[in-house]
Amino acid sequence: MIFGRNPKITLLRAALWAVVLLLISKFVFVPVRVSGISMLPTYHDRQVNFVNRLSYLRHEPQRGDVVAIRLSPALSTRLEAPHAMLLKRIVAMPGETVSFVGGHVMINGQMLEEPYETLECFWNIPAETLGPDEYFVVGDNRTMAEQDHTKGRCKRSQILGKVIL
Amino acid sequence: MKIIFRLLLAAGFIALSAWLWTILFPSPDKAIRHRLDEIARTASFIADESPLLIAGKAQKMAGYMSTNIEVTLDVAGEVPHKLSGRDEIQQAAAGAHMATRSLVVQFLDPEVVVGADKQSATVNLTVKAQPDGQKDFIVQQMRFTFRKMNGEWLVTRIETVRALS
Repeated sequence: MIFGRNPKITLLRAALWAVVLLLISKFVFVPVRVSGISMLPTYHDRQVNFVNRLSYLRHEPQRGDVVAIRLSPALSTRLEAPHAMLLKRIVAMPGETVSFVGGHVMINGQMLEEPYETLECFWNIPAETLGPDEYFVVGDNRTMAEQDHTKGRCKRSQILGKVIL
Repeated sequence: MKIIFRLLLAAGFIALSAWLWTILFPSPDKAIRHRLDEIARTASFIADESPLLIAGKAQKMAGYMSTNIEVTLDVAGEVPHKLSGRDEIQQAAAGAHMATRSLVVQFLDPEVVVGADKQSATVNLTVKAQPDGQKDFIVQQMRFTFRKMNGEWLVTRIETVRALS
């Protein structure tokens, strides 16, 4: 008895659930598949995850959060999640001065504790001060040459949400 | 009854006319999106495509570009590259055919901004390229600049856009 007493109502209920799930997957918990190695060892290539688009409704993004970033500020006005995004960790907050010294992230001249950072890094990047609306994001895998790694400032409007798992 | 039938017929005629109007005289936004679809289709190729078809596609691709087209590629970890003119585009297309057996190109999330003069437009989009049927793909944010010339929307400039500054 798959359809219950009234198959029409069951079908209607199933259709309603499908619509609700579709809306949730597009506008609330967006499913993503990691492509690439820039977030190793935290996230592996082809790993599936979800982005919570409501995570920053009540508070602003925090240092250490792994976030999904829109590839262009021009796409920020779109309600629908883009097809491709960057997955990066926030290491510096708006207004802070960030640099890399011997592979360590320095925030306003102080070394940042990064327990998630287990791979070797030897980057040296001069200090830069972020704007009032800018976050500095970087991947966890910093074993490659600094110029080969996509990292840098992103606008608040580019941050789509926080990665859940 | 006769009046209702006539009203319905008139409504149908108006709807058909409106639909035909959008087909025959598409808005700049629609025409540019259609042009982008054509470019993506032309840039894609399957394994063992006939040389005649390859040559035809290269010529077709050049036809979508203005004669003074400029392509600026600046990707993290790669040497910046610049192409100028249709001939160099055709050569690059031929080079792509030599380098890979097949290629699937998609333009994701195009954001079309038409100029006030309705004769120019810029499009921010994400290029997804999948060579040789691999699971791995290349994703790059790009900006296309279009100009209407002799009733045709032609690409005058293509440039890579860095997601993070």
